[in-house]
Amino acid sequence: MSALAHYLEEEGVASVAISLIRPQTENTKPPRALWVPFELGRPFGPPSDPGFQKRVILAALQLLEREQGLVMIEDFPDDDPRAQPDPRWRPPAVPAPPADTSAAALAAQLETEIDVLASVHEDWLAQTGRTTVGVSGMAITESARYIASWLHGTASSSPREAFSAPLMLRFAIDDLKAYYLEAGAAGTAKPSSRQLGDWFWNDTAAGAAIQALRAAHLASEDERLKLIAGNFLVPAARVRGSG
Amino acid sequence: MTRLTDLPPAQAQRLAEVECPHFETRPWVIGPALARRRVAIVSSAGLVVRGETPFRGRDPDYRVIPGETKPNELLISHISINFDRTGFQEDWNVVFPIDRLNELADEGVIGSVAEAHYAFMGASDPLEMEPHARELAGRLKRDHVDAAILPPV
Repeated sequence: MSALAHYLEEEGVASVAISLIRPQTENTKPPRALWVPFELGRPFGPPSDPGFQKRVILAALQLLEREQGLVMIEDFPDDDPRAQPDPRWRPPAVPAPPADTSAAALAAQLETEIDVLASVHEDWLAQTGRTTVGVSGMAITESARYIASWLHGTASSSPREAFSAPLMLRFAIDDLKAYYLEAGAAGTAKPSSRQLGDWFWNDTAAGAAIQALRAAHLASEDERLKLIAGNFLVPAARVRGSG
Repeated sequence: MTRLTDLPPAQAQRLAEVECPHFETRPWVIGPALARRRVAIVSSAGLVVRGETPFRGRDPDYRVIPGETKPNELLISHISINFDRTGFQEDWNVVFPIDRLNELADEGVIGSVAEAHYAFMGASDPLEMEPHARELAGRLKRDHVDAAILPPV
């Protein structure tokens, strides 16, 4: 978000931007930017690699000591070593997705999966001391029930006054993804994001349930729900039928 | 490794062609050597401290992340779902490199780390973010910050 660099700098605060999408940075022309060749979502590169991360942050901060030039975009030279798959990794065991892909069957299996994954997610908590589940403000079982109510077509008002029901669906789904992907990463293997994503979207009832919700609400008359279903539930690369 | 060429073509094209504001000015603030700079993170990852209001859609304001925030208290509420979150789940420094900054301050490579850090939601309209960013600059200066590092997701 290189526009922020302009605003801060105009107000007298020196800045350096990290760039993940070089064409955007070239268009916005912040004073200084370090382009990094990493996956979207990883501006400082590999997790659990302090040495690598420190090289990235230093490469960026050192641009602050350069003489004034035109727009300065420097390229970080190294790729993220954690982008590679880990052949040792095995996904957690969950029951095979139901042959019956009705909303009711998906809802039932979603709740079963949450229970099955509970102990693996506990392992994750013990291993990292941390979870990123929580944006909905609901416990994961509550989020699963809320998502199930959407699958059944019985969801009514939002469980949180400040947020619309479609937004709460989106937050509950964000928490569901975080719960699964954390459980999937528990253990000593270091799966790539693609390995984890392949498992979640291809082999779990949760992934199938989110795809079903997207499909069910794409033609909704509620414009907000239609927008969220179409754009903010299933990543573009995972939409069924997409190349 | 992921470059635009590694993304689905439609997504890559959308990202490359996002309309960006045009700036007439070329501001360039100078400052002391890095070893005397006070550094703050100004993220556009839609970060929010657990229990506080997540970003709703394209809210153009920002959230405060106090320097003493613990790893288990930081969440992402960015509107986009088209970026990896598993790196952040494993290690918050992938998005919010506070441990690295504190180490660099301990080693004397940078002067100090700001009292607080900040997060916008990067898919918001930059023009709507502008007054909030200018107000934030005042906060940063009151904390004597003279280097802002701006990571996206």
